[in-house]
Amino acid sequence: MNAFIQQIQRDLAIAWASRLDIGVILLFFVIIVTMFPLAIGPQPEILRPLAVPLLWIAAFLSILAGFDRLFAADLRDGWLDQVALSKLPLFAYVIAKAVAHWLVSGLPLLLAVPIVGLLLQVESAVLPSLVIALLIGTAALTLLGVIGASLASGARQAGGLMALLVLPLALPVLIFGVLASQPEAGSFMSPHLKLLAAVLMVLLAIAPPVAAAALAEADDDGGA
Amino acid sequence: MSSAAANTARTNAETNAKTKASNALLRLDNIAIMRGQRLIQQSLTHDMKAGGITLVTGPNGSGKSSLLRAIAGRLAPAQGSIDCNVPILYVGHQDGLSPALNGRQNLQSWAKLNEYASADGEIEQAIDALNATNFADLPVRVLSRGQRRRFALARLCLGPEQALWLLDEPSAGLDIDTSQLLDRVISRHLDKGGMVMAATHLPLAPQTRPAILALNDINGAAA
Repeated sequence: MNAFIQQIQRDLAIAWASRLDIGVILLFFVIIVTMFPLAIGPQPEILRPLAVPLLWIAAFLSILAGFDRLFAADLRDGWLDQVALSKLPLFAYVIAKAVAHWLVSGLPLLLAVPIVGLLLQVESAVLPSLVIALLIGTAALTLLGVIGASLASGARQAGGLMALLVLPLALPVLIFGVLASQPEAGSFMSPHLKLLAAVLMVLLAIAPPVAAAALAEADDDGGA
Repeated sequence: MSSAAANTARTNAETNAKTKASNALLRLDNIAIMRGQRLIQQSLTHDMKAGGITLVTGPNGSGKSSLLRAIAGRLAPAQGSIDCNVPILYVGHQDGLSPALNGRQNLQSWAKLNEYASADGEIEQAIDALNATNFADLPVRVLSRGQRRRFALARLCLGPEQALWLLDEPSAGLDIDTSQLLDRVISRHLDKGGMVMAATHLPLAPQTRPAILALNDINGAAA
């Protein structure tokens, strides 16, 4: 357990040391969202029904932009070799990576949503359910990214390959997420939210062993 | 596996193992190593006992690094078995350091990862053993290759005594003084009953009179 916590701490320390990168993801999100009212026009009657789907798409794209850094650095630096020889099992390492990655890329987006939402005229009544659905949705997307990043870890053009791998698989998350963000009866425990949570649970069970298997012999060395 | 040659090699290896080294802590039995689709080494048999040091030598591409990776469990051998009864510390081509953190933080996180109950004092001693104290607070990003190497090698001082050290070109980038420090660290480890296997082109810890495991370039010889 100590090794697991230290892996999260290490990633947070590295993220803090290069905190400009986190800022870039957040700024990317803000810029995408800002572009919509500029392109569509500021009329609330057009913007308001589009606000939730637009926020979801913007969140997806900006989180996707951070995935190529998930395992690439550990592989390049040789840290993965050290992890493989340590007492920390690879699947626990994968979970630790996912937690740390969500903390530095997903959480800032969630915190920005109430502010950025103003630009798109999001009704304040929708905000709680939107944030909760985004919380589950970004977590699920991070786990998908873990699968994609581990499978693409040996590839040269990992970024593009990963987008191709992850985005189609992310469609259920997007569909249930958008529906769960706009509950009809006002209570946010909608059936769509339950389905979204179910997707997260399935990914929680699948992603760590898949990624661990992909990383078991991952090797950036190339030399003999 | 089923060919006659392989069987003979296997029986030889077995008799060797029985007569020579019943107390071997590392046993390589008839190993073959593939890199991609290419066979780069076959019929490798080698034993190591407590306090033993082996230098793996051979031309570029003869499979030195791959052999070390195979023993470290990062590359499955195409054939044969590897038995290791002690913990393994691996210093590969890459230093295993994050460029964003400083040397001390890197060592601390590695010690915690392995749950080696290292007090801060031990980490300072390890840094001092490779004369890296002066730049332990700088981010690894700004260090030279040799300076980074010192932190990678300082990990060795934090591990358990009875460990097998797998070192891939350990003295690459080190100055002469630091190479001698490394030699001293290695002989101290051997005295305590540890084992060292190093792939190197340079002389390493000559005073310990290491055994040599010479690899041939099997593809070059066939051509």
